[in-house]
Amino acid sequence: MMIRHHPDDALMLAYAAGTLGAGHRLLLDVHLEGCAVCRQHLARLNAVGGMLLEELAPAELSPHALERVLARIDNAGPAAAEDVPGPSNGVRGKPWLPVPWPAAMAACDVGPWRWMGPGMYWNRVILPDAPQAKVFMLRIGAGRMLPQHTHSQSELTQVLWGAFDDGRSEFRAGDFDETDGTVRHQPTVQAGGDCICLASVEGTLRFDGWLARLMGASIGM
Amino acid sequence: MTGLRQSSDIDPARHRARAPYLSVAMLPDIPEHAPSPELLSQLLASVGANADRQAFAALFKHFAPRIKSYLMRSGSSESQAEEFAQEAMVSVWKKAAGFDPAEAAASTWIFAIARNLRIDHFRRLGNRMEQLACDPHDETLADGADPAPTPEQQLFGLECERAVRSAMAALPPEQQLVLRLSFYEEHPHARIATELGLPLGTVKSRVRLALNQLRRRLDGMQS
Repeated sequence: MMIRHHPDDALMLAYAAGTLGAGHRLLLDVHLEGCAVCRQHLARLNAVGGMLLEELAPAELSPHALERVLARIDNAGPAAAEDVPGPSNGVRGKPWLPVPWPAAMAACDVGPWRWMGPGMYWNRVILPDAPQAKVFMLRIGAGRMLPQHTHSQSELTQVLWGAFDDGRSEFRAGDFDETDGTVRHQPTVQAGGDCICLASVEGTLRFDGWLARLMGASIGM
Repeated sequence: MTGLRQSSDIDPARHRARAPYLSVAMLPDIPEHAPSPELLSQLLASVGANADRQAFAALFKHFAPRIKSYLMRSGSSESQAEEFAQEAMVSVWKKAAGFDPAEAAASTWIFAIARNLRIDHFRRLGNRMEQLACDPHDETLADGADPAPTPEQQLFGLECERAVRSAMAALPPEQQLVLRLSFYEEHPHARIATELGLPLGTVKSRVRLALNQLRRRLDGMQS
């Protein structure tokens, strides 16, 4: 898979620093799973984080901090790998996809596809720790176009299957896109087949036209 | 930030040494200046491979006060930061078996654990992490992904750490500041704007500029 569109530096830095909202973080998790280039970039940014952690002036700890920690370790039993989710968990209950479900979405709750217009389906993705995060999936039929819209803040899109073109560029499976209020676009799916995307929205989508706004309202945007 | 120096007259090492039930009676004899990255990696590997409590105590001495500082920098109270640092070190102990010194520097690995715990920490406190653009109505929260970086995220280990260190040192001070604030602050963009006297809208381009410079230096070193 040749990935041509990656998250930009500012987004990667916010991910590495841990300051992204949950929805955006999930989108980056999914992109990183499929993108060795960005994993390498992240490794460097994590090293920057480690270096900056080391150069912080140490704060005074409580006098019994180490013994408390050792006591907690003793109570918890021997060192063991824990909290490791099984790699193939989480497919149950999710709708069928033409590609494997991203591991990062294992704990997410994804309902059945819902109709939102001719050849257009959507799906709310519920994050276990952040049910309010506006994350959803779109499945748009070959040749269909989404209503023209812009964004009050920030929308991230990860293409899982197929391809779309919004006039700025073509986005294929594995590609990542970030749009904001400066982008007003009308993504159009390529003729070859359906396109399935994962999207995270901070703020709202702003659709042009009353019908489109109604569609947007139906998916909570 | 109040209370940071409250207990500066107490020597923590002495109190720890007196505790009756500890299997670590004394802190390992490590130099007062910062231990080398190589030593830290060996210590962490030894915790993972041998459940080495001496090594853990040395890591604790180096990292726990810095993890506490990391949380206090992002606005946590001293007691919250203390609890957080202890929790993070418990996590380091539990996950140490997954650490491979060939893949990551100890500081990189421990940072990733502390960072992911901080995400959880702020979620539990109900604080909202900074959004790319701030929306008072948006209640998006941070999720807790697996704190341990995967091997693929740690391609360079100590070499990467060394390269990043010298690349950072070569950056102009303003760009170093931008990166520091990006990592330490809970609301980095607002803080960067204040510190540099910039409108909020131009912060992102400063962040990109700093990262671009860092990347160019790293690419120059690693090609």
